[in-house]
Amino acid sequence: MLARHLFGSTLAAAALLATSASAGQFVDWKDDGTVDLKLGPNYDNVVINVKAEDMGGLFGPGKKPFEGAEISITVNASGPKGGISGPLHAFRPVWEELSGGKLTVIELPFAEHYTKMMLDLRNGSGQYDAFLVGAFWYGDIIPNGYAYPIDDFMESGDYPYWTHDVMPPALKTLHTWKGESYGVLNDADGQVLYYRKSMLENPEHRAAFKSEYGYDLPSPPKTWQQLLDIANYFNGKNWDSGDADPDSGMVLHLKVGEQGHYHFQSLSASFAVTPGPKVDKYHNVYWFDPTDMKPLINSPGHLKALEFLQELHKTGPAAQVGWSLGEAWDYFLRGKSVFVFSWGDVGSLCQDTSRSKIKGDCAAAILPASEEYYDMEKGEFVKVANPEPVGNTTGGSWHGVISNFSAYPEATYSFLAMMAVEPVSLWNSQNGWTGVDPGYKYQFLEPFGSATVEDYVAAGWDAEDVKTYTKAYQENFYADTSLTYLRIPGSFEYWDILDKNLSAAMGGSVSAKEALDNTAESWEAVTDRLGREQQLEYYQAAIGYGD
Amino acid sequence: MRWTGRVKFLFLLPAVIWVLAFTVFPLGYSLYLAFFNIETKTEITRERVPVLDDAGNPVLTSSGRPRTRSIVHKEQKSIATFIGFDNFERAFSDNQVISAVKVTAVFILTAVPAELILGFCLAVLFNRRLFGRAALRAIMILPIFATPIAVGYLFFTIFYEEGGPLGFTGIPFLSNPDWALASVVFVDVWQWTPFCFLVFLAALQSVPDELYEAAVVDGASGWDMLREVVLPILQPTVIIVLLLRVAEALKLFDVPFALTGGGPGVATQSYSFLSFRTGLRFFDLGYASAMAYLLLIFTMIVVTFFFRKLRDTYA
Amino acid sequence: MRELRVGRTKGDSLRYSIYSLIAICVALMFLFPIYWAFSTSLRNPLDTFTVSGIGIPWLNFEPTIDNWVTQIASPEARRALTNSTVIAVGASLVALVLGAPAAYALARFEFRIIGNKDITIWFLSQRVLPPVATIIPFYLVFRFLGLLDTELALILINATFILPFVVVILRQTFLDMPIELEEATLVDGGGYLTSFFHVVLPLAAPSIAATGLIIFAFAWNEFLFAITISSRDAITVPVHMAGAVDTRGVQFWFMGVRAMIAMIPPVLVALLAQRYIVRGLTLGAVKG
Repeated sequence: MLARHLFGSTLAAAALLATSASAGQFVDWKDDGTVDLKLGPNYDNVVINVKAEDMGGLFGPGKKPFEGAEISITVNASGPKGGISGPLHAFRPVWEELSGGKLTVIELPFAEHYTKMMLDLRNGSGQYDAFLVGAFWYGDIIPNGYAYPIDDFMESGDYPYWTHDVMPPALKTLHTWKGESYGVLNDADGQVLYYRKSMLENPEHRAAFKSEYGYDLPSPPKTWQQLLDIANYFNGKNWDSGDADPDSGMVLHLKVGEQGHYHFQSLSASFAVTPGPKVDKYHNVYWFDPTDMKPLINSPGHLKALEFLQELHKTGPAAQVGWSLGEAWDYFLRGKSVFVFSWGDVGSLCQDTSRSKIKGDCAAAILPASEEYYDMEKGEFVKVANPEPVGNTTGGSWHGVISNFSAYPEATYSFLAMMAVEPVSLWNSQNGWTGVDPGYKYQFLEPFGSATVEDYVAAGWDAEDVKTYTKAYQENFYADTSLTYLRIPGSFEYWDILDKNLSAAMGGSVSAKEALDNTAESWEAVTDRLGREQQLEYYQAAIGYGD
Repeated sequence: MRWTGRVKFLFLLPAVIWVLAFTVFPLGYSLYLAFFNIETKTEITRERVPVLDDAGNPVLTSSGRPRTRSIVHKEQKSIATFIGFDNFERAFSDNQVISAVKVTAVFILTAVPAELILGFCLAVLFNRRLFGRAALRAIMILPIFATPIAVGYLFFTIFYEEGGPLGFTGIPFLSNPDWALASVVFVDVWQWTPFCFLVFLAALQSVPDELYEAAVVDGASGWDMLREVVLPILQPTVIIVLLLRVAEALKLFDVPFALTGGGPGVATQSYSFLSFRTGLRFFDLGYASAMAYLLLIFTMIVVTFFFRKLRDTYA
Repeated sequence: MRELRVGRTKGDSLRYSIYSLIAICVALMFLFPIYWAFSTSLRNPLDTFTVSGIGIPWLNFEPTIDNWVTQIASPEARRALTNSTVIAVGASLVALVLGAPAAYALARFEFRIIGNKDITIWFLSQRVLPPVATIIPFYLVFRFLGLLDTELALILINATFILPFVVVILRQTFLDMPIELEEATLVDGGGYLTSFFHVVLPLAAPSIAATGLIIFAFAWNEFLFAITISSRDAITVPVHMAGAVDTRGVQFWFMGVRAMIAMIPPVLVALLAQRYIVRGLTLGAVKG
């Protein structure tokens, strides 16, 4: 594949030398073998420079390979300067000039995006050419043959160049299915812990904490239990000078029907997953028993985690039960909470002074682990003194998948690939409003990756913040043990049931045990309805059972 | 004395045919969905064809291989199996359905009486000379016509517990399940009390002067007049308002959608909301149709009861 | 205007003031949420949840019209406004064209097999039909006809559900009109149609206009069908509002603007049709 790429790029380079540089409004082919992608006045006249050969054989000065193509791509609605949808708007004119085609960005409310996509795919109407999907939708799209595999595109050399090699294994899995590639690199989701460093390292607080809890305040906390102590310590005191009201320890975004259940997933991973070298009946499984598809969600480890989350909930504002991302993040960004654990957007939003009051005091770390986990094989809790952190890829990792019913799969791929080329992807991850979070090698700092602190600072980041931020994500995505991602048909339904039950538990309507038992019972009904044999097969394939 | 003549059908039938087409037919289809299990299998095959240029020669990619295009063939087959009352049985034992029924019932039993009583009291209040009465009356029209979904989102900001305008009360409007339902009720009361108010006011004003004057002459107090004169006359009005409000309340969708997303948990998941989500989120069309049908039957029963009392209004 | 007391006494002025004050307070309470939407729409993101007092512009915070500018400038918002207008106007016209003659027939003519009363009630019952019961079939049928995500589909659906208003309200209007003029026309040799178009409609024009305005408002506010049928081209203002909820949560500063954009047209329209509101909302049962 590399050979073909070299061949292709040689041809492209030759073609380039033969033609002269040309400048358009959004695209500027230079004489030095690079091309400037200009985003225009709406986006601060940002210019991204890409090697011409990396743009693939189809694009070039004067070439309009997709003239007449009209494509539309669906995305979670956030507006032209909002997360995930923002970059689509920003790069649309660039692509249109490069290709001669026309792109319509279809923004759909988060709650309806999946529905609209499925309606389109089930009918085969081909109204949308691509979808910025959440990885958990794969189970409902790929096995049914609704998606267009992109291996051929990637290998042809015609299209802008990007590769899976920059992805940590956990993320690469999310973009492929049974060895075939379907997703184009975009966002990398995972939850990390954010904390107010100045508070945790404040000498007065440290002294008071030590006298109250008997040990030194760890900054950052390495275990969930330590975090709970710290959160309890800070909760209710007015430690933040921003306002006269008391502040909180932890803030969560628990609203039902939104993304509240991810908190539980990330947190419970280290309580419930039994580490081991392989994936088998007892080790590295979280959702279902891989031999009979019995739900594991109400196992003792999960239950303990939920009860822990309920305790943690008390260190935050009661209202957070109805809070979605915007409200919860706003609370943290205004300085009202010591901790939040959520996606990479928080790190970038911290740097935006129109939204944040805590720039420069927004440190990040990989999520703590639990001091004890439930060992499924032994059937008992095991205590660990220094637990290994468990990584996660919770979230959607929103990225483009092409519809099999699209009339213009090539044109569509060329747009998605263009957004995935390294300089573009790097720029996306450095600018918080894009909603594109880092997870790929070049986005991490040297020596592990290829980005420099200076790049990030130039993009508006505080130097200390970005160092902890990138390190946190690097550790998260390359951790030895990771929470497995649920990608089977009906994932959405399983998670919706879990979400509703979690919300009921957090709101106090039911106990933690009832919530998880109800979830398990409802899950069994769904599994039976969708076909147990088939679900088992998909689950085993998704988690790499028996590999 | 009414006319006859065949032309009456020319006037009436277009509307009748329209309504039949757009309601009876879909309802029938809905019933079909409820009784059958429909599986759509889509066979998708992809065919790679070489891309040829105008002269018929194969075009090459940048890496020198022949470029291919995909043509997608799709074949959809629907298999419908009759499953009888399975969907309906499932609805009766489904926890979420039972919860949704409870939520909707509590909602109706609290919101509707509140609106009626409050609307009536306000009507009595406004039924006199007041400063700027016309303007006040006009203001009261606004909530009724404010787009419900907009109202839902709007009240999200109003009920915001950490700094919203009502934050000082410390009440967990949206984070406590019971309060959340109360909040939904509150929003509905805000939106529809003016409706009850306007209707009752109009009805009060249609009470002829003579009745009042006669009652005064008879030495009746304010209270007596209310009970003996006004309420009996208002009875048909109360019935129509009750009917319209209950029918609308059974359809409750927009406000929970916007305000709470059905939560916390399922505390504000109304019946219509659940049916919609089941059908269009999880594509369990048969089951969702069965749920919707049960609601329809229930609505019809309630409404028929009211209509019996109303028939005379439409003489 | 009725007073519960005949004659004027000194106590009346006090009563007048007290009741007026109470009434004003009540009206302000009902107005508050709408004022709040307006206030939110003028705020910077950071201020959204932190304004003191009751958020009076300039007094409690620095207002900005940025939100308004961005929202109205966005092509999606403009498209939503156009769509909503086209759909609401279209549906209202269809409903009026179908409903007015039907109302006339029910007011003037005698129907035997099914009585007038029952036909009227049948129309009325369409209004209490839960939309959820019809939404899936509508979706499937429109998909089959290739009409998904078109304004036409929403016009047809909305027309169906506002038609009852037209039939029942106008029926009452026609019943209230003296029959002599029509009879005169008939005697003069004009047919029923002539009498309807040349005599009845012009006379009933104000009522028809008001009914049209009311049903416009209802069609504008419709959400359930709009969100199911539309996905891109036919997005209406309410659906556009729901789009302010995204992966990152509710964008409140947009929400204020969008709420105002959504609410202003139907509210304006309702104010224009004030006189007929009660009759409209109670489907003719109570005269305003």
